[in-house]
Amino acid sequence: MLSAMQHPLLFSRFPRHISSSFAKSRPLHILSSAQPTAGLSVADQSPPSNSQILSIRHSLLSGHFTATQLAESYLNRLKLTEPQLNSFLHISNNVLKEAQEIDDKIKKKEEVGPLAGVLVGVKDNICTADMPSTGGSRILEGYRPPFDATAVKRVKELGGIVVGKTNLDEFGMGSTTEASAFKVTANPWDLSRVAGGSSGGSAAAVSARQCVVSLGSDTGGSVRQPASFCDVVGLKPTYGRVSRFGLMAYASSLDASGCFGSSVTDAGILLHAISGHDRFDATSSKQEVPDYASQFISATFLKSRPLEGLRVGLIRETIDEGVDSGVKSVIHGAASHLEQLGCMVTEVSLPSFSLGLPAYYILASSESSSNLSRYDGVRYGNQVSADELNSLYEDSRAKGFGPEVKMRILMGTYALSAGYYDAYYKRAQQVRTLIWESFKAALDENDILISPAAPSAAYKIGMMLTSSVIFFFFLLSLSFL
Amino acid sequence: MASRTSLMLRGLSPYYCCCCFFNLSSRSSSSSSKLFFLGKNSNPTIRYCSTKATGGASSLPPPDVTHLAKTARISLAPNEVEEFAPKIQQVIDWFGQLQVVDLDSVEPAIRAESLHENAREDIPETFENREAIRTSVPSYDDPYIKVPKVLNKE
Repeated sequence: MLSAMQHPLLFSRFPRHISSSFAKSRPLHILSSAQPTAGLSVADQSPPSNSQILSIRHSLLSGHFTATQLAESYLNRLKLTEPQLNSFLHISNNVLKEAQEIDDKIKKKEEVGPLAGVLVGVKDNICTADMPSTGGSRILEGYRPPFDATAVKRVKELGGIVVGKTNLDEFGMGSTTEASAFKVTANPWDLSRVAGGSSGGSAAAVSARQCVVSLGSDTGGSVRQPASFCDVVGLKPTYGRVSRFGLMAYASSLDASGCFGSSVTDAGILLHAISGHDRFDATSSKQEVPDYASQFISATFLKSRPLEGLRVGLIRETIDEGVDSGVKSVIHGAASHLEQLGCMVTEVSLPSFSLGLPAYYILASSESSSNLSRYDGVRYGNQVSADELNSLYEDSRAKGFGPEVKMRILMGTYALSAGYYDAYYKRAQQVRTLIWESFKAALDENDILISPAAPSAAYKIGMMLTSSVIFFFFLLSLSFL
Repeated sequence: MASRTSLMLRGLSPYYCCCCFFNLSSRSSSSSSKLFFLGKNSNPTIRYCSTKATGGASSLPPPDVTHLAKTARISLAPNEVEEFAPKIQQVIDWFGQLQVVDLDSVEPAIRAESLHENAREDIPETFENREAIRTSVPSYDDPYIKVPKVLNKE
């Protein structure tokens, strides 16, 4: 099967750990030359032709292989790698059926969408009508939403096939997927390490080529950090760019749906597919959606210094002490590369940087304590039997939520208590204004700002569970931006 | 609501020691649920007198996990209270660093970006897949969602 579809671009760049076991059982000739070094996605240097989405489209329309063959090959790899990785909480039963429908359309020369045949992983806090959506929480175990999230609906309308629901920290609260109620996702490049989080399943699934692209969500780094850990492209769009209808709310003033791909082009194509105003989400922006991917030019057509004059600010606080030397050297390497391409790189300082994390944490836990009050065991989700209504709420929530979620709800309840609002929530919002102002000042001086996505490469599974709370904050501290 | 009131009283009396706290409580002793709350909370006085908030957060009393759990409608086992309390305290202390920042003339930012008026017209619409909503309800007796009795005190 696979020999019929060995497009040179399609199955390259497997993480070594997976590819070695995979290669034994499959006639794969094209394997990675990519080095799984620090697991950091710095600047993707791939030309647009590295897009899997574009090459799949080309191959399907030229008859090089069928959507069914493609889907079978992905499903086979998924089956083979999933026991080690645990990227998925649920795998769709309809993948081959949907692939067949696309093949039928192509056969009849009907128009197919730009994502036709593209297998998409969907983070499990994003609702899908035909599959369970648990948010990684026991309280929603087995829950089937009555609708598709708008992002999922748009992916499907464009021909994308949802391959399954990916693992996450419960309701997005965590940065390793170890806070999932169901399983821990391993990093495809080193199975003893975490995939990051909270969108760890979505990042690992793309990294191990269990799917082509995936959807995630980012409240405080939940797309960017796992993308960095798993060496894929992660894109956290501007707040409001993508509809959040059907995304289980965590912190409404920060939540954003995001994309994972193995190339910048793929992430751009997926973002284009899911962006735009949605009447079901009043916070979704009405600004025009540009075709991001069509603006990319193949590297072969570029002059030697294509970024001549672009002002790049490297955020000093994100390469300060405490950041791994490996991370620093990769970032400095990326900065010199940008200079070679014509950029002017200077360090910029964001004076309010250190206040950002406590402010973020106050906002996120406060809003989560309010948002998660919907999980009361009455309208959906798991209910315990009780002889009194308050006990039903309290026991259903006690049994349904994991410790991390409980603690964040309690902290948020504290911060929002009558009389405390000004001291915590309002102050955090004021700090957000300071941060916004310092970013704006930095962006007046620069065209873009760069920073590492995390202060270290992926850590060992179990390390965070035994670390102190403050250490945890430190590791998180870069991802909230 | 009663427990919320109690909390507010504490919020207004940040520097009061245990005696003051009880004075305030006894003044409002007409509400049985307030007394119930205090009774459930085995030794609030010890917590108040012995726990020192650090940094700039010192103007606010420390979190009482049992009470927070009651407010958030999550029943906690005693070992969970024991496990969570120091962790939550640590985080709240860490929040304290924001108390010392001068924010007097700074407007709060409601979200990452200010958005234009996007709300759709407030016109009811029928959701087509009502059956799926109904099947999600754990305890349903057509046409009602069943819950245990709501009032058991009065």
